[in-house]
Amino acid sequence: MNEITHRDADASRLAEEARRQETLLPAVDIHEENDAVHIVADMPGVTRESLVIEVDNGVLSLEGEVSIPMPEGLNPLYAEVRAQRYARRFTLSHEIDSESISARIDNGVVHLTLPRRDTHRRRRIEVQAA
Amino acid sequence: MFSDPRGLDPARRQGMDWIHQLFDEMFPSGGAADIRSVPSGSFPLINVGRTDDAVRVYVFAPGLGAEDLEVSLQDNVLTVAGRREPLQESEGRTHFRQERFHGDFRRAVALPEGLDIDRAEASFRDGVCEVVLPKREELKPRRIDVQAA
Repeated sequence: MNEITHRDADASRLAEEARRQETLLPAVDIHEENDAVHIVADMPGVTRESLVIEVDNGVLSLEGEVSIPMPEGLNPLYAEVRAQRYARRFTLSHEIDSESISARIDNGVVHLTLPRRDTHRRRRIEVQAA
Repeated sequence: MFSDPRGLDPARRQGMDWIHQLFDEMFPSGGAADIRSVPSGSFPLINVGRTDDAVRVYVFAPGLGAEDLEVSLQDNVLTVAGRREPLQESEGRTHFRQERFHGDFRRAVALPEGLDIDRAEASFRDGVCEVVLPKREELKPRRIDVQAA
């Protein structure tokens, strides 16, 4: 009896943990233009305050907490969005200047601009007349 | 987004990780699905919750504003329709990934009976549209006074 309650508590703790770790994968568009790579990510419900963007060891991580004010005692009837957090990571190639990455969030859409390093910019080579 | 989303389907495995999630999508379980449910990745995603005095619908429509979304209710079926424009195209752009939805969309969800459509309100915030549909007076929980004999 005791053992069963113990195991139940254990299972619910595990479930709790799993729930907390469960994350949504935001849909992204990535394109390159004007000597920069642009990432556009859908993260509805994320605010400027709950968005965290980090670069660590050449890995860009994009995380955000869904922060929608909801009334007390709201019971779910139907849910397609089943986690509180978005997370997605990308590895950056060395030509990205991680010091000058900029980001903005607008209506739940995150727009990241990752400029290339100056030394890696495309440049035109003048052809000298002979 | 709900504090206990798992409460919705208690039969679900505990400690589910991404591989289970993937398999769930590839091989749907025998459980009955809502007739208007959609595969994951649809746009926009919708959550519905209920409080004592209202039903609240959350439409996850990033990048859209109040003027882009059309919300209507008929016979307890809420319909959300609209259009999301693609990113502005420009010359010399190389695309690596295009996962975000664009184009026209229309989705419907069934809601409980007894909502007061005349008092419904919708507001947009951070890419999420919240529709509040108050319950009609006669359906709200009420306290019954017990008379002393």
